[in-house]
Amino acid sequence: MRKEDTVKLISAEGFEFVIDKRAAMVSQTIRNMLTSPGSFAEREHGEVTFPEISTTILEKICQYFYWSLQFASGKDTEFPIEPELTLELMMAANYLHT
Amino acid sequence: MESEDLGGETRLVCLCIEAASQSRDAVEKWRRQRRTLQRMPSHLAEALLHRLIRRRILNPSLLEVFKFSVEKIDLRGESSVDAEWMAYIGGFCCLCSLNIADCQRITNSALWPIIGMPNLKELDLSRCIKFSDSGLRHLISIRTLQKLCISETGVTADGINLVSSLTNLSVLDLGGLPVTDLVLSSLQVLTKLQYLDLWGSKISNKGAADLVVFPKLSFLNIAWTDVTTLPDLPSIACLNMSNCTIHSMFEGEGAKALLEKITVSGATFLNVSEAFLFIETSFLSFLDVSRSSLNSFCFLSCMKALEHLDLSFTMMGDDSIQLIACIGANLRNLNLSNTRVSSAGVSILAGCVPNLETISLSHTPVDDVAISYISMMSSVKIINLSNTNVKGLIWSDSELVWELSLAALHSLNYVKRLDLEGTQVEDEALCPLLRFQQLNELSLKGTRLTDLSLYQLSSLPNLINLSIGDTVLTNGGLNSFKPPATLKLLDLRGCWLLTEDAILSFHKNDPQIEVRHELVHITPSEQNASNRSSPSQKGKKQQKLPKSQSRSKEETVIDQRWKYSREELLAMEHSTLALNFPYKMHLG
Repeated sequence: MRKEDTVKLISAEGFEFVIDKRAAMVSQTIRNMLTSPGSFAEREHGEVTFPEISTTILEKICQYFYWSLQFASGKDTEFPIEPELTLELMMAANYLHT
Repeated sequence: MESEDLGGETRLVCLCIEAASQSRDAVEKWRRQRRTLQRMPSHLAEALLHRLIRRRILNPSLLEVFKFSVEKIDLRGESSVDAEWMAYIGGFCCLCSLNIADCQRITNSALWPIIGMPNLKELDLSRCIKFSDSGLRHLISIRTLQKLCISETGVTADGINLVSSLTNLSVLDLGGLPVTDLVLSSLQVLTKLQYLDLWGSKISNKGAADLVVFPKLSFLNIAWTDVTTLPDLPSIACLNMSNCTIHSMFEGEGAKALLEKITVSGATFLNVSEAFLFIETSFLSFLDVSRSSLNSFCFLSCMKALEHLDLSFTMMGDDSIQLIACIGANLRNLNLSNTRVSSAGVSILAGCVPNLETISLSHTPVDDVAISYISMMSSVKIINLSNTNVKGLIWSDSELVWELSLAALHSLNYVKRLDLEGTQVEDEALCPLLRFQQLNELSLKGTRLTDLSLYQLSSLPNLINLSIGDTVLTNGGLNSFKPPATLKLLDLRGCWLLTEDAILSFHKNDPQIEVRHELVHITPSEQNASNRSSPSQKGKKQQKLPKSQSRSKEETVIDQRWKYSREELLAMEHSTLALNFPYKMHLG
């Protein structure tokens, strides 16, 4: 995959997730960051840092992006969420608008 | 079905709330995450809290985890809410809105913990019958209150006098309380009032004349009072004078009143044209004159903005229908049930109501000819033709044969609900319905249908509710019925040929469908505890509906009742009481 087609999402602890740009765009917030003229750094380097989101949660978020793409293409599977992650994940999802 | 109250949240948020409220065990996994709970945005905390309530997982001690985040709590109709709940709610530091309407265990002393709440702005205690003057005496120390609803509580005239010290009030609901002219004059200091509900009170014309002291009043309900003359109140936008005898409204020197919504159901008019003389009706969007004493409808002629018009149980007939046709451009909802309107009247409407979505002609003399005219109303979604002369067959003069009248409806693309209850339709006439791919609700109760129709209805792909009671269905017919995958409710009440065994075996094959019948009442397998209320409780709740003038509370009960109009609910109530479900049983 070409570098332009990916984005790097960085968690609070500095862990980096390189994912398909199309998947990341499932989040309205990331989409805005990558497309709006105001956020130059994000657009130029395809990198977004989330100082508020832990690695565990960001990993789950990335899984959700891919699940969401599959779901949209008609694959009807469940997205499992461990109860102990629900609160943090909910807040991250709210922030990312996804 | 569960996500309807999470409309504003994104999909992953909904999935998280779903997972977090899955079970008591799931709750145990997150309830100690204190820091996370503290910094949770209020709308997320509220969505989670209310989901837990609906799932019957919330108990008073679990409330505590939300005390730093939640701003609004809605516990309407929760029978378990009592003093212990209030003790925890008293600790919610950001709470600004509390709704405990219909919580029967709330007493005066139960409310003490919320007295000192610094941010509380809205409080709904409607129909908390144990709440009375002594509770109100404490409550008035919450000076921040902007909204107070105490309709149908034990508060007396003496207590209402105390409300005058809550000078920040903009919404005050005193429905069903003994408000007298004298008490109303003591409330004159509440100059910020925008919404005032006084239905069923003891106010007269003298009290009504004093309403002019509320310069911001935009909503007024004085239904079921002795008021006959309403003074000129220029700020009013919504008025309810149902069941009043009306002499004049808004008579005065100034500009005409600009109203958006008028409800005068069951009102007696001294002179209709005079009653509307001082109202600028060209902005009116909602008019309910059902069951009123009207005999002339000329006042309709200027109401070009009307979207909702209820003329049921009036003298409306074909001679006046042209008046509706002239103002039909914006109409969305038209209720002509129990009027003298015939098919000829419907023909006048056709082509004049391009935005009409709901049309009710039940209990009118319309016949199959009307169907062809309804088919020209292209936006129609809900059609009620129950208890009319519709047979499903129409004589074609050109072809000299009987044609199926319902076939005309094929030109309509949005029909979701069709009610043919109590009509003469037979199996053959129903064939055109099978092409209604988008139909969600179909009522064929009390028609001349047999097993053949039930079998055919298997092919309606989006059917959710099917009512086919009071027909001659047999066990064999039910056996061969292959319900559409979407079906949630099958109402078979009054199908006297069916046996308990046949219904139980149907349930075995399709456990997700709720089945209603006198012998067996089956609720779907994976339903919430709220649906399993005992029959006696259910009866009590339904009996309250006709009395309740303000917001009804069906939405707190997770069942199918939201799909029905109030009239239909009342009809169902009577049938339930009469039959009393001798062998009612709940499975699942």
